[in-house]
Amino acid sequence: MERRKMGARGGLYVLGAVVFLGGALTTMARAAEEQEKHFTVSGKPVVTLNNIVNGRIEVKSWKNAEVVVTSTSAPGKVSIDAEQVGDRIEINATSLEESSTSQPHEVEANFQLVVPEETELQLRTQTGLILVEQVNGDMKLQSVAGDVHLKEVSGYVIVKTASGSLVCTGCTGKLDFNSISGSAQILQSSPTSLNLMTTTGNILYDGEFRRMGLYTMNSGRGLVEVRFSRGDSFDLKATTYRGVVDNQAPEVLQPDMHTKHHAISSMAKSLWVTMGQGSARVEVSSYSGTIRIVKRD
Amino acid sequence: MECRDVATVLEQEGLSPLPLEARDHLNECEACRDLLADLSAIVVAAKRIPAEENPPERVWVSLRAQLEAEGIIGEAKVAAELVAAEPWWQGLAPFLRPRMLAMVSAGILAVAGGLYISTHHTKTAGPAVARSAPPAVTQTAQPPNAEKAAPAPLQPAAPMLSAENVMKKQPGRTISGANKPPQIRESTTALGPSPSELASYGESAAVLDQTESAMPSPADNAAVAEALRENLRTLNEFIAECKARLKENPGDRLTQEYLNMALQQKAELLGAMMDSRGSEH
Repeated sequence: MERRKMGARGGLYVLGAVVFLGGALTTMARAAEEQEKHFTVSGKPVVTLNNIVNGRIEVKSWKNAEVVVTSTSAPGKVSIDAEQVGDRIEINATSLEESSTSQPHEVEANFQLVVPEETELQLRTQTGLILVEQVNGDMKLQSVAGDVHLKEVSGYVIVKTASGSLVCTGCTGKLDFNSISGSAQILQSSPTSLNLMTTTGNILYDGEFRRMGLYTMNSGRGLVEVRFSRGDSFDLKATTYRGVVDNQAPEVLQPDMHTKHHAISSMAKSLWVTMGQGSARVEVSSYSGTIRIVKRD
Repeated sequence: MECRDVATVLEQEGLSPLPLEARDHLNECEACRDLLADLSAIVVAAKRIPAEENPPERVWVSLRAQLEAEGIIGEAKVAAELVAAEPWWQGLAPFLRPRMLAMVSAGILAVAGGLYISTHHTKTAGPAVARSAPPAVTQTAQPPNAEKAAPAPLQPAAPMLSAENVMKKQPGRTISGANKPPQIRESTTALGPSPSELASYGESAAVLDQTESAMPSPADNAAVAEALRENLRTLNEFIAECKARLKENPGDRLTQEYLNMALQQKAELLGAMMDSRGSEH
């Protein structure tokens, strides 16, 4: 009886050891592998990062003429290649996992880039955040399901997502956003040109209107909200087919009755207003969503 | 089935629903998927090219007057004086050189394209139109260099909009005075889509549907595959809604613009689905 108890206890110890060893091995296998690469540049670099797997990309700037790329990924699962030709740096991350339709796999590679302040960027990832801070230069940012956050960037910025959203704070220059279900928030920014387009996402513009600027915002089914201040100067045209134009500042924005306007559709509801001298042009449209015009306090 | 067989099927039967063997081959062959994606993109793009159309005479007249007013082209007599010294046919010689001919042809095509777009899209407020800049004529009453010649005093801070202010602002926004550039007359008829444009919506949608039906399952990455599928569903629903509205009201420009936008996005999404499938190997 005693011997049987001893045997059972020993078996438990062995089982525990096996479980512990298995867990440790799994943890070791999952431990992220970090790589850091340095690229010296002379002028304005062009950095292309094509992340075919999941993962986030963070880009920050510094004053050095050097690009530093730090990547973290599960060892043996992701291949990361980086090459430099002059001031052009190209980084590719691809999965080493065998494809199988029956067992979908999730492979991740995260990147942190430090680049000179004046840098052109072309970044692409599947899921995971793309974050760019304080970089001046043209950029094209693409993501399937990851969000894109921009802080204090300038240049001609193109953002394309399927369902990822855009948050842009303190941005200047030209901004072009195209998404199917992603939303866009433009905050404390003063772009010279803006083109936001989403099928079902929402749009919020809470920035400045520059003289001669062109601001276009279209959403198929989402809410489009535009905020302005009393001192702003713009011509606003808001059109919706099946939604509502909600002018929350009727005391300031009175419909422009003196100019002949062409209705885009006999069924559409439109609002044409001029604020100040009408220096900027703001065109907002929605298919079935609400358009809301709000004056800041 | 091999790659060349798939190519033959595509060549003979187009993008119509592909046979099962071809679809099985597409599941395994990245090159053929790329070929299918390229063909679909080409077909969609080709259907969106508008048929050649001659702009009305008033457009040419207005364009010429506008270019003259802005000093971009001169009076006809100046040109006549310049060529008077030589026989007229010698003046044509440079234009008959192949390179010059190509440039002139390209220029004519560009102008015709621009005019086509301007006559069909400037009067709408939908997504495609919103990108175009407002015509210069409506921006200001002054000629382009008037600001330099006589700088206006600084305007006070923008006042609140009132009926009076609007009335004050209008003279500055309409054309008056001796130097007034020619006004482009407004069209008396609403510019609706041409029958070919209307047909192209349906055809583009059909091509995209065929591509979608031949599409292998998207990425192996579950999160990405789900996101792509979800967005495809969203677009299909939106496209169906727009089509239903167009059936009720075929001339509705805003619905057409949104349908156009959704079809473009669907074409790009299908491309992305193929990319995501192919790029993981």
